[in-house]
Amino acid sequence: MEINGIKLEKISDYLWEIPVQGGMIVPGRIYASKKMLEESIKNDEALKQVINVAHLPGIQMFSLAMPDIHWGYGFPIGGVAATDLDEGVISPGGVGYDINCGIRLARTSLNYETVKNKLQKLIEVLFNNIPTGVGASGAIKKLSPSEVKRILKIGAEWAIENGFGTQEDLIFTEENGKLKDANPESVSEKAIERGLDQAGTLGSGNHFLEVDVVEEIFDEEVAKVFGLFKGQIVILIHSGSRGLGYQICDDYLKLLVQSEKKFGFKLPDKQLACAPIKSQEGQDYLSAMRCAANFAWNNRQIIMHLAKKSFKETFSISDAELDFHLIYDVSHNIAKIEEHKITDSNGKTITKKVCVHRKGATRAYPAGSLLIPEKYRSVGQPVLIPGDMGRYSYITVGKERSMDETFGSSCHGAGRVQSRHQAMKSAKGKDLIKELADSGIIIQAKGYKTIAEEMPQAYKDVSDVVDVMHNAGISTKVAKLKPVGVIKG
Amino acid sequence: MPYKFIEHTADVAVEVEGSTLEELFISAFSAWKEIVMGTNSQSREQSKKFLFSSKTLEELLIEFLSELNYQLYTKKWIINFINKILIHKVNENYHLDVEVFGESIKKKDYVIKEEIKAVTFHKMKIEEKNGNFSTIIVFDI
Repeated sequence: MEINGIKLEKISDYLWEIPVQGGMIVPGRIYASKKMLEESIKNDEALKQVINVAHLPGIQMFSLAMPDIHWGYGFPIGGVAATDLDEGVISPGGVGYDINCGIRLARTSLNYETVKNKLQKLIEVLFNNIPTGVGASGAIKKLSPSEVKRILKIGAEWAIENGFGTQEDLIFTEENGKLKDANPESVSEKAIERGLDQAGTLGSGNHFLEVDVVEEIFDEEVAKVFGLFKGQIVILIHSGSRGLGYQICDDYLKLLVQSEKKFGFKLPDKQLACAPIKSQEGQDYLSAMRCAANFAWNNRQIIMHLAKKSFKETFSISDAELDFHLIYDVSHNIAKIEEHKITDSNGKTITKKVCVHRKGATRAYPAGSLLIPEKYRSVGQPVLIPGDMGRYSYITVGKERSMDETFGSSCHGAGRVQSRHQAMKSAKGKDLIKELADSGIIIQAKGYKTIAEEMPQAYKDVSDVVDVMHNAGISTKVAKLKPVGVIKG
Repeated sequence: MPYKFIEHTADVAVEVEGSTLEELFISAFSAWKEIVMGTNSQSREQSKKFLFSSKTLEELLIEFLSELNYQLYTKKWIINFINKILIHKVNENYHLDVEVFGESIKKKDYVIKEEIKAVTFHKMKIEEKNGNFSTIIVFDI
């Protein structure tokens, strides 16, 4: 098959390969159906970016793309690449500006029938308690620089120390909500300043907090382990490291663009600017990126606690009655040092540590992994895939095949199909709030513009994306969630 | 029109131009302001001066636009006008010397309509053709 002049070889119905050409070090591999390639992926330059990533020094095995691949900066969104720790590089473009943007899923004991009459009130309370929108602040008092530095070091532990959750929450957060070796000295004063009033804020754009109902269960056994049942009320939180993370990416991208000559790299795109992992610049970026990741985990922890408080306030119920628990928190914009099976060009396989860049991709570790909570080790890690606010989101579970093929990674969401401008045009003359309400979804946002830009039609159908990973055996479907309430910036 | 928006699926892309480098930077500022501000802010209450240096013009433009973001989202200060702007090259470095007028948005009922995460290097290439400078700028939203 040929898409935009790029030849693709079919490996299976859900996997396609771009053979090594030009300066590519490894082949590109794209998880997608033929229909997705021909109907959506061809519309932008994402495949070219898969090729570009394959030029990164020290890249291992494949430059990978998940089925929600779309055009990003340097890396495509939905891109995964692992690099060798000795010969390889780290690239801020392989993580993105919103470092540790991610998804958190929490469950309650409530079912839809119990909440439906008070849903409007619940959304209002959530909207009042959780700061949303551009430059949102105020969930907690403005912090001092030294307090922010402490968050950068200890991540979500800060929230627990300050009464925003329990120790149990840390167990169910990827990396327990804290990446080690995060030194705030590697973070600029400007970045810290941007974080002073942003802890516990949702932000704007595609970030959201959603109240969902478990609409369908595909895998009863796994759903039971995750604590899910049909009709249950759960919440999804999508947020990241806010301005602090953007600034860190910005700072290091500039530094590494300037260092291109020093390192002698000739890369096809400036946004792929990178540094050898072993270099001072590489180590500094890794440290700063970890700081931002910790800030983001702390952020989602605070938001979740505010959501729990909002439920208790709305329904006047006790902790025991609400039975509110974090199911899992996953990052989908991050680079981490992980151990994986690596097969070299001679077919020899060894297990070694590599730097896995996931940009718009979710870790998807299988059953048996010691790096996932003990409670989930018999089934695998929850992989949370949000869709759009009008249709559905999915809970899937990591499978062994992800360790063989994708460095333990899966997809992260639906991906846009319309630009914001197109979405605004499509929304003209419509009352989206009423349309959503008619389909049982209450929405509250800072402005109508966000609702229009984020309208369901602006996104691809997340089912297509999830089905590819399910059929490829990378992460399989556990449950489908239907939104009933949304707050946005 | 010294700038025009280009369709971009996920973010905001704009093509800017100017008959001088200074005009190109002013066009970039005007496009930025249209993206971020939902209200018409005009005040020349306060002025600020900035100096930037970079190895390339593209880096200089990103430095400049990133500062606009920082002033708005962190300092809560909107730049309304560029009063003086000068770009010059000394040895191997480009320098931008700029004086702007603006105001604090803290006590005003101003609506920030968009949060720009960053100004990217993606597709950015400042070129001169027939006495006209132009480039594409992609803002990560």
